[in-house]
Amino acid sequence: MATTKITERQRWDTLHKNGPFELKLFLSTRLEKKGNMPSSIDRYNDAATEIRKLLREALDKNEGFRAIGSKWSMSSIAHHEDRMHFNSFMNMKFPILASEMHPDSDYLQENLFFLQCGNQIKEISLYLQDLGKSLKTTGASNGQTIAGCISTGVHGSAIDVGSVQDYVVGLNLIIGPDPEDVIYLERHTKPALSNVLPDKINAKVIRNDSLFNAALVSLGSFGFIHGVLIEAEDQFLLTRYVRKISKDTALELARTLDFKNTTFKIPEEVDANGSPLRPYHYKVFINPYGNEDKYVVEALYKKKFDPLYKEKHGDPIPFMKEFVYRDLIYLFIKISERFPKAIPKFVKALNNTILPSEDEKIVGRLSEIFWDAGYQGRAFACSFGVDHKDSVKALDVLSQLTKDEGPIPGIFAMRFIKKSDALLAFSKFPFTCMIEIDGIQWKKSNKLMSLEEYTKRMIEVLKENNIPFTIHWGKNADWGFPKLAEHMFQDNVEAWMKHRSALLSKGMAKVFSNNFLKTAGLDHYEENASEDLIATIT
Amino acid sequence: MQKIKIAIGFLSVLILLSCYSTRIKVSNGQAEPDDTEREDALSGLWVRELDTIVKVKTITDENPINIRDCESGALHTVEYKSTFGGILLYLVTFGRKRTVKVKYVCIKESN
Repeated sequence: MATTKITERQRWDTLHKNGPFELKLFLSTRLEKKGNMPSSIDRYNDAATEIRKLLREALDKNEGFRAIGSKWSMSSIAHHEDRMHFNSFMNMKFPILASEMHPDSDYLQENLFFLQCGNQIKEISLYLQDLGKSLKTTGASNGQTIAGCISTGVHGSAIDVGSVQDYVVGLNLIIGPDPEDVIYLERHTKPALSNVLPDKINAKVIRNDSLFNAALVSLGSFGFIHGVLIEAEDQFLLTRYVRKISKDTALELARTLDFKNTTFKIPEEVDANGSPLRPYHYKVFINPYGNEDKYVVEALYKKKFDPLYKEKHGDPIPFMKEFVYRDLIYLFIKISERFPKAIPKFVKALNNTILPSEDEKIVGRLSEIFWDAGYQGRAFACSFGVDHKDSVKALDVLSQLTKDEGPIPGIFAMRFIKKSDALLAFSKFPFTCMIEIDGIQWKKSNKLMSLEEYTKRMIEVLKENNIPFTIHWGKNADWGFPKLAEHMFQDNVEAWMKHRSALLSKGMAKVFSNNFLKTAGLDHYEENASEDLIATIT
Repeated sequence: MQKIKIAIGFLSVLILLSCYSTRIKVSNGQAEPDDTEREDALSGLWVRELDTIVKVKTITDENPINIRDCESGALHTVEYKSTFGGILLYLVTFGRKRTVKVKYVCIKESN
């Protein structure tokens, strides 16, 4: 039997120490040993039974229950003061068999994998690597769990790929304590599985595009995500270049994403006519306090896999990575709280360690380019999504605010993602530019505004300048800003809440709510939501 | 005189405890995670510690220290700490007593 260790706690915190938050019970489930239960399906179902039992306890005690993975989110999205469930040890992996494929599926059977919620990106990549496969994209690092990624919209800067949730093609949700509360959900227009696997895991099948797109970026509130069906692809290589290019060119590329007609050209990355190729990934780094006429950009190009790549190009993973001493950074922050004018000087002094350096090209797998991120201190991050056509204006507005009303101890970056079909995906524009400011947490002082005030002002200036925007669910923001969700997602907010109300009982909707959901105004439950919203569409 | 003795005592403790550590990790393995509040390089990972003194006899060498608590049977990270006190103990006992201060993280069990 899967077992859950339940520990009484007073508090809980995120990986980057954005809390602490109050907590009563911390739960951690481990699977039954393989030797005691050799069948993988039996072990998976055994874990589902354990989760249903835990949901029953929460429901009976009128308490909330929130699944967490690697706790990388900096917002309070993963927090619940009653019960938090650490699911990282629930990490089974299943290839999909030919007999499990839907007859109308367009997916290649060899590319589909069913992953239990607690699988972390790195272990998935290593698993796929042994099968000659790769994830399509990841975040900038690899520690998040697959369920955590899709619940919050984790993204990289794969321009024409999208975010992690965009290669998810099926979801196994546990929406309550009863046996019939296990469901398998996928799109009706893009079915992946027949009923064979859902039958093995005792799941009721729902094929419905709208419900799937609502549940895809669920903010942890559409039930317990037990399993995720992903579409992988053949393994590939990425060639990474870091260059300093003119600020105008870097920003023009951000605004147009027209890589063919640009002066930014890597000699090895051109087509037969000598025109620059479109990169797989494009990222711009910006020091808001510098007056440099050049920006550092990172461009990655996708290549066919070559098993001899390490012999030819060297190991992409550095032998040793250097970090600035955390205590030194904290000292900088302490000084900055009293003397904010020192911040630009500190940022400049740390430029060489914060920004990637121009170097020889690096060739590696996706999982090697976006590798481990060491803990580097109490961090904050704000991340706004805008249409890439508005990216230059938005960057200007946000960096001006940072200079005028800051300074803030952080630097900006821009990453680009293809539109997602998920109702509450912050990558909602045809190509979304994520404008991010990352840095180290500071304390409000007489001369330095607080992070809360800063995030509020960011929303205000974007609104004042009529720039449509979204915010990354896992990052710091003024989530209580009036009508913020409606402003970002318009009608999708109501549609998301209706689908949630239709899928969950009122009691379970409360179990799967948390303060983040309430603060963001997304916890409304509609008593009479239509059953049609959760019906299979044929 | 009393103050000098206290100062010398304090200094001696400082010297004996003064240390450096080295961390080694594998690049192609998933470390075992944990929900902790630690704020060092091993934040977010399940860290086990081994703090002991290994005693060896005159004509026999030490056996390996068996790590039994890695479900996966594999190590991800090992942090070895060397203190001046530990080196001194090794010297004065002619190598018969060896201080072992190790932190380690297992590879996450694959399922």
